[in-house]
Amino acid sequence: MDEVATKIIEILKKHMKEPRDNIELSTPLTDLKIESLDLAMIVFDIEDSFQIEIPYNANEEVEDFKTVGSVVDRVKSLIAAGPAGAGAAKA
Amino acid sequence: MKRADGSRRVVVTGMGAVTPIGLDVNEYWASLKAGKCGVGRIENFPIEDLYIPIAGEIKGFDPATHVKSKQVQYGERYSWFAGRAADEAWTQSGLAKPYGNPYRACCIVGSGAGGYSTVENAYRSLFIENKKATHPLTLLRIIVSSASAHVGIEYGIKGPTFATCSACSTATHAISLAYDYIRNGVVDVGVAGASEAVLTYGSMRVWQAMRVLSPDGCFPFNKKRNGTVLAEGAGILILEEYEHARRRGAPILAELLGCGLSSDSKDMVNPDIDGPRSAMQLALDDAGLDPSEIDYLNAHGTATALNDVNETNAIKAVFGDHASKLAISSTKSMTGHLLGAGGGIEAIACIKAMEEGFVPPTINLTDPDPKCDLDYVPNVGREKKVRYTMSNSFAFGGLNAVLVFGQPPA
Repeated sequence: MDEVATKIIEILKKHMKEPRDNIELSTPLTDLKIESLDLAMIVFDIEDSFQIEIPYNANEEVEDFKTVGSVVDRVKSLIAAGPAGAGAAKA
Repeated sequence: MKRADGSRRVVVTGMGAVTPIGLDVNEYWASLKAGKCGVGRIENFPIEDLYIPIAGEIKGFDPATHVKSKQVQYGERYSWFAGRAADEAWTQSGLAKPYGNPYRACCIVGSGAGGYSTVENAYRSLFIENKKATHPLTLLRIIVSSASAHVGIEYGIKGPTFATCSACSTATHAISLAYDYIRNGVVDVGVAGASEAVLTYGSMRVWQAMRVLSPDGCFPFNKKRNGTVLAEGAGILILEEYEHARRRGAPILAELLGCGLSSDSKDMVNPDIDGPRSAMQLALDDAGLDPSEIDYLNAHGTATALNDVNETNAIKAVFGDHASKLAISSTKSMTGHLLGAGGGIEAIACIKAMEEGFVPPTINLTDPDPKCDLDYVPNVGREKKVRYTMSNSFAFGGLNAVLVFGQPPA
């Protein structure tokens, strides 16, 4: 697992009520018992760690937040887009 | 004439509203009937980097022209809204100013957040502009009890005067407390409701971080709903003991028949069915009504993914077969979410619905969520005889408050 994935899993563990070690890229977030408010805090931590902005909305079934791997992919694409790209993604 | 339990009857003799779709009750109600939307792109402050660029703003509000009282003008935006709404309500009631029996009146005007814009401007001037001091009135403008104090001073009210604070149930809690005071003989007259003015850059950032706001509109009960929309304003009622109102020939607009208060005591953001269900049931029990007697229900209807399904299920749990016959609407589809003040303007919508025999619509309901399968009066309001109405307020933290109104006593 690369640096981005390792860091994201670290953040997920920090917010899980019952942290566990067997987290794979294919693990669905629902399996980690992460609820909406937890996810808002996780997204905040990810934004802070990677200096990006993620336009996440707790009201929507966002495909980008289904599995650990999909979160990693989303973060990587926002990092690649850079600050200007992240801004464009917001609109 | 008293209630079945020997307590005193409580009627509404005045109403005042300041909303994104009208700066008084008549304009507000005309907009509700017409299905007018008050949500739009933020214009009152620079959007800068906000990715939620919409709100239900009150545009062009000038305290010098829209607020009569000089001492209220010394307050801040949330007190101005309260002052204007209270003035409209008090004037309609025909009560003397100052009130002649001052210890027999209460003034309960709440707010979810009080002087939010004053906090932000003061800290901006200290931390960014390096000013040496804040404006001397900063503290008095910030405190959440300042609107109740301003309004109480305006009408010479010397009985219980304070603010309630329960996020989106604030106004409804204020009205239910004043109702209890009058019903149990503590006072004869009450000013009750709430005011909110949290549309600032900093506040939008705080809400944005919670990830519950929609970037493009308020769509209650719609499949595409994607969050609520913040708004500002005030809604205030004058409540009065029935005989007191009748003796002085006051305009009696409605009777406040029941209140139901409960707490989910479970989670800060995920609502429970049992909390809202019990609040609605308690309000019906207090009013002595069968669920089938309610003709119109003004829903909390925030357009968040969770609320609208949960509220629908709670309504079904209380109303049973009648749930599908009930006219329900979320007027937040037009006003946006006035947070603490929401219950105040929504109580007014209920009273106007009875008065005019017309139920306001839920606009933006183009594609209903199959899990929200009741009659939400989609898109266009309709004529309907309304005998009794219910107004729901459910807040973050699981704080539930419900009111039941009836026609003026015959």
